[in-house]
Order: sequence, then C-alpha cells, then structure tokens
Amino acid sequence: MPRTNFTALAAMAALAAGGVSLPGGAARAQDQDCQHPIGAVLSLSGSMAAIGSAIGDAGELAVEHMNAAGGLLGCEADYRLRDDQGQPSVGVDAAQSLVEVEGAEILLGAIQSGVSMPILSSVTVPNEVTQISCCSSAPSFTELAREGGTDGYWFRTLPTVRPQGFVMADLANERGYERTAVIYVNSDYGLSLARAFEEGIEAQGGSVTDMVPYNQEQASYRAEVSQALRGDPDSLFLVAFPADGATAMREWISLGGPQNLLLSNALRAEEFVSAVGAQYLTDAVGIDNAQVEGPSVEAFNQSWEERYGEPPAGPGLHTMYDAAAVGLLAAQAAGEYDGTAIRDAVREITGPGGEVIHPGPEGFARAHEVLAEGGDISYVGATGPIVFDEFGDVTGPYLIWGVGEDGALTEVETWQVERVNELMAATGG
Amino acid sequence: MLGVALYLVFFLIVVTIYAIVVMGLNLQWGFTGLFNAGVVAFYAIGAYGTAVLIGPARDRLIGGFEMPFLVGLAGGMALAALAGLIVALATLKLREEYLAIATFGIAITIQLVALNFEALTGGANGLIGLPRPMFDLFATPGGYNLFYLIFVLAVAVVIYAALERAVRSPWGRVLRAIREDVTAARSLGKNPTTTRLQAFVLGSAIMGLGGGLYVGFIGFVSPIDFLPILTFQIWAMLIVGGSGNNRGAVLGCLVVWGLWTASGYVISNAVPPGLQSQAGAVQAIIIGLVIVLTLLFRPRGLIGEEDVVSAHARDDEVTTPQEEIPAQQGQ
Repeated sequence: MPRTNFTALAAMAALAAGGVSLPGGAARAQDQDCQHPIGAVLSLSGSMAAIGSAIGDAGELAVEHMNAAGGLLGCEADYRLRDDQGQPSVGVDAAQSLVEVEGAEILLGAIQSGVSMPILSSVTVPNEVTQISCCSSAPSFTELAREGGTDGYWFRTLPTVRPQGFVMADLANERGYERTAVIYVNSDYGLSLARAFEEGIEAQGGSVTDMVPYNQEQASYRAEVSQALRGDPDSLFLVAFPADGATAMREWISLGGPQNLLLSNALRAEEFVSAVGAQYLTDAVGIDNAQVEGPSVEAFNQSWEERYGEPPAGPGLHTMYDAAAVGLLAAQAAGEYDGTAIRDAVREITGPGGEVIHPGPEGFARAHEVLAEGGDISYVGATGPIVFDEFGDVTGPYLIWGVGEDGALTEVETWQVERVNELMAATGG
Repeated sequence: MLGVALYLVFFLIVVTIYAIVVMGLNLQWGFTGLFNAGVVAFYAIGAYGTAVLIGPARDRLIGGFEMPFLVGLAGGMALAALAGLIVALATLKLREEYLAIATFGIAITIQLVALNFEALTGGANGLIGLPRPMFDLFATPGGYNLFYLIFVLAVAVVIYAALERAVRSPWGRVLRAIREDVTAARSLGKNPTTTRLQAFVLGSAIMGLGGGLYVGFIGFVSPIDFLPILTFQIWAMLIVGGSGNNRGAVLGCLVVWGLWTASGYVISNAVPPGLQSQAGAVQAIIIGLVIVLTLLFRPRGLIGEEDVVSAHARDDEVTTPQEEIPAQQGQ
C-alpha cells in the first residue's frame, strides 16, 4: 500500500476501535447537510485483493471530483465502499445493506462476474438500483440483458471480450486460415473469448476444428495440445496468460503445430515472447485493448497522479473512475436521486451529441453548468468516448500486435471503435 | 427504519439457509464425530441439482428442465444424498483425519467439475436467470423476501424438530456412542458402519437442501459460490455456536454471519473517506479476533452440548415431551 502512511493507519485503527461514525470527508468544497450515498462493492481482500484497493481509490477519486465541482443534486455524494472478500454471499449482503440500510441508488461493482451477477439478480434489479461495474467481463450479463433479466439496470465500462473474438475471427479470415484450433484458459474470460471467436468464424462461413480448454498452472499441456492437433488445423488461436501460454506454445511447436498463430491480449508480454522464442512467433498476430489517448485520458491520469503521487498503473482504474463518473453525472442529469431515473439518464450523458465533458473537478463543474441550463452533455472519460449498447456493454478500440524478429512487440494496426462496431453489425455480433 | 427491517429480513434468510447446512454438519460432526471437511461439496451438489432442474432451457446446456421449485429442491437434496452415499461408502472406514482429507479433496473436485462440466453447470459463467419461486406474486422485493424468509424458516423448523427428535431417539444415542467409543458401541451389538453411513447421508442431504434454498433465493449459481472458505465458515458457525447442540448450531450461524457482515458495515462507516480502500484488512482481523476470543472464553461454544445422553436421565425436565418416553421404552 504505497499510498498509506502511518498517521492515516493509526487514525483508521482508532476510529475502527471506537466505532465512531464520521459523516464525511475532511476536505470538502462546501458544507452540505444532506448526502447521497454512492455504494461500491469491491474485493478489498480475497483473491482479487491485489487490484481491488486501487480500484476502490479510483471510484473515490470520481466522487471527490464531483463534490469539489459542487456536489450531487445540491447534496454531497458520499462514497460507501464495502468489501466482498471475493465471496458472492458476502458481496450480496454488502450490496443489500448499501441499498436498503444506507439508501444507495447507484451501486458500483463488483470486480468478479461471479459476485456482480448475484448482486444484480437478487439486489439491484428487484430494488431498481442502477449497477455499474468496472471489471466484470462475463458474456452472461449480455445474455441476461438480452433475455430482459436486467431490466436495463446493468452497465459496465469495461469493453467485453466479445468484440475481440470477432476481430480475431476477421483477422483469421483475412489471412486465409480455414481450419483454426482454439486452446483457451478455462475461466469466464477464456471461455467467453473462445466462444466469441468461434461465433465470429462461423458467421464468416468458416469453422473451428477444436475448442480445447486448459486449467491454469499445470506443468504440461501436452494432452490439450495433442487434442487440438487432432483435427489437423492450419492455425491456432491461443487464449492464455503468459506463463501457461508459453508452456502450451512450446509444446504446440515441438509437436509440429503450424506457426500460424493468433494470440489473446494477455500474451502481449515480453515474458511470453522470450519464453517461447521470437523466431517461432514471427507469423503470430495478437489483439489487445488499444491504449486510448486524448485529453480526457490525460485529465484522469493527471488528477490521479496529483492525488496519489504515482501514475495510474493497474487494471480497472480507468474503468472504475468512469463507472463512478457515469453514475454521478447520470444522477445529476436525472434531477433526482433515484435508481430508475439514473438508469434512464445514463445514455443521455454518454455517446455523441452534447457538450463534451472530461474527468476532473473542472469537467464536472462544467457539466453542472450545462445541465443547469438545460443543455446536453457527452461524457468522454478516462477510457475515452463511452457508448453503451442496449445491453449496457461498451466497445473499445483494439490494437493488433505482432512480434519482430528481434523479439520486440510491434504494433500492426489499430481498430477504432467505429470499425469494431461495423464489423459487429456485419457479422451479427 | 423500514430499510433496516428489509435488510434484516434479507440477512435472516441467509442465516436460516446457513443454519440448515450447519444442522446437517452438526449431525455428522457434533453427534457422530464424522469430520466432514467438504461441506461445500454437498451444498454445491444441492445447489446445482436444484438449478439444473428448475432452470430455463438453453441451447448449450443439458439441463434447464423448468420443473417446479419444490421438485427441484427435492431433486437437489436427493442428489446430495446420493453423493453422500457414494462418498460415505468409499471413505467411512477412514479414521477422522483421513476422512477430513478425503472429503476436502472431494469438495475441490466438485468445484472443479462445476467449473469444467460446462454443458451441465455453465462452467465459469454459471447458470443465469434461474426462476425465483413465486417471485411474480409479490409487488415489492421486500414483500417477496418476507415470504421467502417464512418459507425457509418453516423448512428450518421442520429440520430442527426432526433432528432433535432423531438425536434423542435410541438411534441418536447410538450416534453418540460411536462418536465417543466405536469399540464399545460395537461390543454392544451396534453396527457403527451402517449408523455412520446413515448419519453421513442424512447430513449431506440437509446440506444439499440448503444449497437448493440458496439458489432459489439468489437466482444464480456459479463455481465461486462454493469456494473452500465456505466450508471454513460453516465450521466456524458450528464450533462457535456449540457442536453437538442444534440450538448452538443455529445461534452460531446468527453470531458468525452477523459478525462477518456487520463488521463490513461498521468499518465502512467508521473509516473516513480516503482510507476506505485500505479498510478490508481490518475487517478480516476483527472477524478472526472475535472467533478466537469466543473459543478462548467458551471452548465448548456459546451453547455447548448438554451433558445428558438419554431422555430418561432428565425426567424432571419439562422440555422433554412425556409421550416420548413410553415410545422409547417400547423399543
């Protein structure tokens, strides 16, 4: 915890021991006696603890910015962060308590899909509370939304892996691969990406020879690789994390698998390239989320650095800030602190049209002015422009990367959001 | 204040579901001395069994039979009992610590099966959109939760009454005899293997019932619902409450789960903004501390096991129904 100091820890311990309830922050732009609680459920301990606490800070930063810009609907936005300990039952309880006891109409989180989903089905949807997640990537949310199971209360600022699969399928097609095998990590992420790829290939009239899942952290993936080779593929789509991916890739090459390789985003790592050997990867092509650039991203990075003294590095920070910002601005635009009104306002404050609003107190202050005058705003956030589709999902720009002969990671091309959306529309994604 | 009441209803539903599972474990460990370190496996089998039976049909899935909830519940329970039978037949000859390791392995196996048997369990994504029984009849979620609380309470009361009856019967005395001294029990002509098998299967079925009730309430099931830590929580509830006493088991659920959740509430309200993200660790410390202190000061649990073995030994107590005595004498 580089941002913690001893004074702060001691203060926290003293407060926790005394059970004192503090009504708000020390630094506040104005004195207001009313508060709108903004609920957040994240994994501060448990298997996601390593990233959870910084994600919590990102949400808090957005709330601070909103308060510095004049608060929320004439009151103070009060950030209430609860720990789900990586356990669905704990997360559901925290969410229920935030909604029923503390009166939150916006719920941010959770990180893991397996926690976000029970919160959605048993807390936020029945109680008509808007839920915005920074980090849950499972496609089951899209499926549930399509069935009408979310009533529109679900949003996420993290681009889903589904478009990635379709873009990869398009690349495979472009390169003339006709028989691709897929080896994927057996998690919601791997399964979703592999399935989207299969769907994309089928939409383009091709077929996948084999879909082979692997379980993480095994010493050898010979069995999985042999199974993938059985269908005589001309190419491989590997969805993996660097260490396991390198193991599988070495075995693929040693068993004589073709070097027409398609690689997933997590494999864009020096570690993977050096473990496999750059000479085997010159025909490989991979995908990753493109680093969004522009003044809105800069504005976030800068205010993060000012607040926490280091650049925002780590997963989920940009998306969490945007999740909180979208919720807060939507509530401001709705004119009332009510989950259903906020849900309906989310698409009004995002997407093209309206005055562009960037992260930071100045941006939010400008949003207050425009909204007060009855104008339209268009939030362009820490992750760039945000457009929610009808299922609450966003699409991001993608980067296509390759490996040079010297082992350096190279950038092949960038797919802008518009091109991704066109492809998705054309292939029925 | 209405909000607090609504939250309490929700909280009590979860406590009651866990209480059912803990009573199942109490039958196995508290009365029979079977160290089941794989509680979560039977809970998961009941949950997935119910989910598969009641879930909506989907192309990718084998399940989705859209059966009525009560049928699903019974099915989940039966599957958990079947799993308990198989596990018991394979492992009950093992002594305590070996049984613990074997059942722990089984719990991990079941979680991995849930993660990998995609066609049945939906894999890592879980099973979504499961119907919540009679949900449409209620206008507000609070009203529905109140209904569901009454339903799970009724189930818990039936199980409590049945277990109390069973452990005070001659069969219950055999359980305790086996727990205390297997050789002595065998020398008296009792068959420890059969009795242990019965207790294990019955306990597993009760755990499975808890899983089914959880699914009906949450409307979703996925492998991370069944992490090994849940086994630890269930055990903590039983040990803190008082192993070998069903009232203790229920009280333990209330105390441990209350502590688990209330600590989060207190900390998030006590910690100033700016430090919220660091507060998670404090919660874990408080939970651990309270459990350790409870055990130090009340090593037998909050309500320990009663010292009587037979209903005959406490004729002066009004808590024992009088008609029970002739029925037992007749056996």
